[in-house]
Amino acid sequence: MDRALKLRLETRFGDILRGAVRQRHDETEIRIGAEDVIDTLRSLYDEPGLGFTMLADLAGVDTGTEMQVVYHLWSATTSDWLRVITIGLSRDDPRIPSVTFLWKGAEWMERETYDMFGIIFEGNRDLRRIYMPPDYTSFPLRKDFYLADDAARSPGGGVRHMERTHEPADALPGTRRAGTGA
Amino acid sequence: MTTTFPPGTHQSADDPNVLLDDDFASYEPIPPYPPRTEREAEFYTLDDGEMYLNLGPQHPSTHGVLRVVLKLDGERVVDIDPVLGYLHRGVEKLCENADYHQTISHLDPLEYISSLFCEWGPVMAYEKLLDVRVPRRAEYIRVLSGELNRIASHELFMGWFALDLGGLTPILWAFIERDEIVEMLAALTGARMLFNYFRIGGVNGDLNHDFMSRLGDWMSRAAGQIDSNTRLLNENEIFVRRASGLGVIDTETALKLCMTGANLRATGVPFDVRRAHPYSVYPELDFDIPTRTEGDSLARYLLRMEEVKQSLRIIDQCLEQLPDGPIMAKLPRLIRPRPGRAWAALEGPRGMYGAYAISDGTDQPFRLKIHDPSFIHLQAVGALLPGHLLADTMAIMASLDPIMGGVDK
Repeated sequence: MDRALKLRLETRFGDILRGAVRQRHDETEIRIGAEDVIDTLRSLYDEPGLGFTMLADLAGVDTGTEMQVVYHLWSATTSDWLRVITIGLSRDDPRIPSVTFLWKGAEWMERETYDMFGIIFEGNRDLRRIYMPPDYTSFPLRKDFYLADDAARSPGGGVRHMERTHEPADALPGTRRAGTGA
Repeated sequence: MTTTFPPGTHQSADDPNVLLDDDFASYEPIPPYPPRTEREAEFYTLDDGEMYLNLGPQHPSTHGVLRVVLKLDGERVVDIDPVLGYLHRGVEKLCENADYHQTISHLDPLEYISSLFCEWGPVMAYEKLLDVRVPRRAEYIRVLSGELNRIASHELFMGWFALDLGGLTPILWAFIERDEIVEMLAALTGARMLFNYFRIGGVNGDLNHDFMSRLGDWMSRAAGQIDSNTRLLNENEIFVRRASGLGVIDTETALKLCMTGANLRATGVPFDVRRAHPYSVYPELDFDIPTRTEGDSLARYLLRMEEVKQSLRIIDQCLEQLPDGPIMAKLPRLIRPRPGRAWAALEGPRGMYGAYAISDGTDQPFRLKIHDPSFIHLQAVGALLPGHLLADTMAIMASLDPIMGGVDK
């Protein structure tokens, strides 16, 4: 944990941050709103005390109530990974500015996030589906997209479902196993 | 059938096999729907003298199932549009619906060439969520098996790269070494390619006699063997001339494209997660991060071969320093990490592998994001190819070493 980084982030982005800077293991986490993405990431990239020039990852998250976009950044100035979480995107029409102006390589990561969550990255010039076919209409990693065979979230629930025995309908009376409900 | 052309022309309006301008009017545009983005509209508009060429989806050189639409001007590549998704299995969704231990077997087939690294990232992320300290012996075994897997992957890269440049011999030689390593790992893990070996808090099995005797046998001659393999190419004038100056990328562009691994180090940036952000027992091990400054295909190839030597050094040290002790941390069978988020990254043969896990307190990950370097590097092909000849397409793509299983997830 890099305590100095926490202080630097708090003094630099104090009014932008939504909630406290969190630190755990070798990760430092800040939360911002979608409208602050461009300014915050540009400052993190440019300013000498920060220098987060490497975008390690860009991920979408559907919490069930809102959408989030998560950036992981690396800098030579600190021993921590920096996680920037953009919170509060609406699930009906999630929109966020693209970061392709800083990292051209974010283009495909944003395409993937769009494909999986339907998050619109404004400013990405190639925002089309990347894995799913072009005429596909759902967003598979959203929480309201259930897998057909295993939608249960309780521990073991899915397993029981999968392992239930299926007797042929025309089995002779008396040969069915007890407890199958037939 | 012989066709006779009227004198003075090469086309006959009567011949149904000859396509005239009118025939193209009924052709469907490519792709058969209006462009959805600015970039797509730009790509699917032809200038004078340009044409499209479709490679794949089952071209033998694409290291998986990839389709690339090339825009050509004569034999020069103007632009490319890779079409992904032929191998998409929805691994992240499957992992959200499996418990933490079950996800590991879903992660293996992501990169079937270096499966251990696909397991390692998420397992590290889970361990962070759980605040588990992995026993030192388990960490050493992870590093040992990981470096073996790295060598196997780089050996295969050498063969593939030469194959894509038109040389058949190196891949046959590369497979000798690779097969030995694969058999060795099979003795350790029980599987040749999809190992399912790492566990949350340790590894599945301890080093056994079969593995150790194979390893000792191989290590005694590995350096010489690998050296003679690489000399096949390093001292081959045709290969060196062909690969140098091919697909040059500079440092700034590489960083903007989020490239990592040997592809970034070939441009002169000594970024290696093992040193830049140490994990596991790498801080205790002595090895170098080789870099080159040319940034071309040859540099990327030579760097990987240099890394193989460093991996051999690491294996030597692991065997020397291997501590005694347990190989698994004490953990319950059913694990429910406290709600939280964790990110873990590591250096694999292709670059930085990462995993971002979110726990909501149940026994299944709420979200698991896999960061795969192949995905990033395939994107860079679009920046490298324009201006090169059609015949260089596969050579440049191979020099970046993407694996489609990882690209498509």
